[in-house]
Amino acid sequence: MLVEKYSSRLYWHIRRLVILHEDADDALQNTFINAWKAMGDFRNESSLYTWLYTIATNEALTLINKRKKNETVSIDDLAGYFAGSHEGSTWFDGDEAQVKLQNAILKLPDKQRVVFNMKYFEEMTYEKMSQVLKTSEGALKASYHHAVKKIEKFLGED
Amino acid sequence: MMKKTEETEGKNPFKIPDNYFEEVNRKIISATAGYEPEVKKTGVYRRLRPYMAVAASVAVLVMLSFVALRLFQPEKTTQQVSEIIYSESTESYFDDIDISTIEQNAASIDIYDEVPDVSNQEIIDYLLLDNVEISDIYNQL
Repeated sequence: MLVEKYSSRLYWHIRRLVILHEDADDALQNTFINAWKAMGDFRNESSLYTWLYTIATNEALTLINKRKKNETVSIDDLAGYFAGSHEGSTWFDGDEAQVKLQNAILKLPDKQRVVFNMKYFEEMTYEKMSQVLKTSEGALKASYHHAVKKIEKFLGED
Repeated sequence: MMKKTEETEGKNPFKIPDNYFEEVNRKIISATAGYEPEVKKTGVYRRLRPYMAVAASVAVLVMLSFVALRLFQPEKTTQQVSEIIYSESTESYFDDIDISTIEQNAASIDIYDEVPDVSNQEIIDYLLLDNVEISDIYNQL
């Protein structure tokens, strides 16, 4: 079954972008519902997983933009989430290094954050990333390079 | 590429509730059960478009072949053209005229009608003016 096969992988991709479990849960459900509704648009040019992954990425980015617009969740809130002082922090159990890394990733612009997560954690190829984000491989490499430099700088400050 | 350290790679720091995926999968399946996937209707034009494209390609190919044959076929020489015209005209001439008519016309022609009325003396005078020897003239007569 499609949902059972892909829900876990898509959830973790969304979760790394939106951080909060409740938001990731909403985005995951919306991903499958929207994919189901738009099944007629699916073309075999890309794999089904790549298509779902693209929808999931868009859902995550839409949710992040909504949060910014409505000012419901700030970077400070998420930093508190990592530090364990935020409601729902029970869904994060990272050690000191992981907290530092997540805080550094949080400070990246959205596009760089997406690219960094896809490359660093999911080890996605630039070719596949290019299909998902509709961006040239050169631009993605540049984004990842800038993201790494910023994170290294942030980690080096402490 | 930024290297993953043991500290950062370690265990996944994000947690989920127990049996989360079983629960969410059930939710998604029941949520999508109410929706019908939108199947886009394809019009006649959209369905026939591939066939029309093939037909247009064939038509263009035929036209190009015709033009290419016209442009690159070696031209007939003047001699070939005149032979064709001559053969066509003579054939059509003999097709139109009955051969017996031609024979009758030929028989009725008096070839001596065309000989000019010149006396021997006049011929001799002309040849003498042209420095022909008199002995030669008489030999011919």
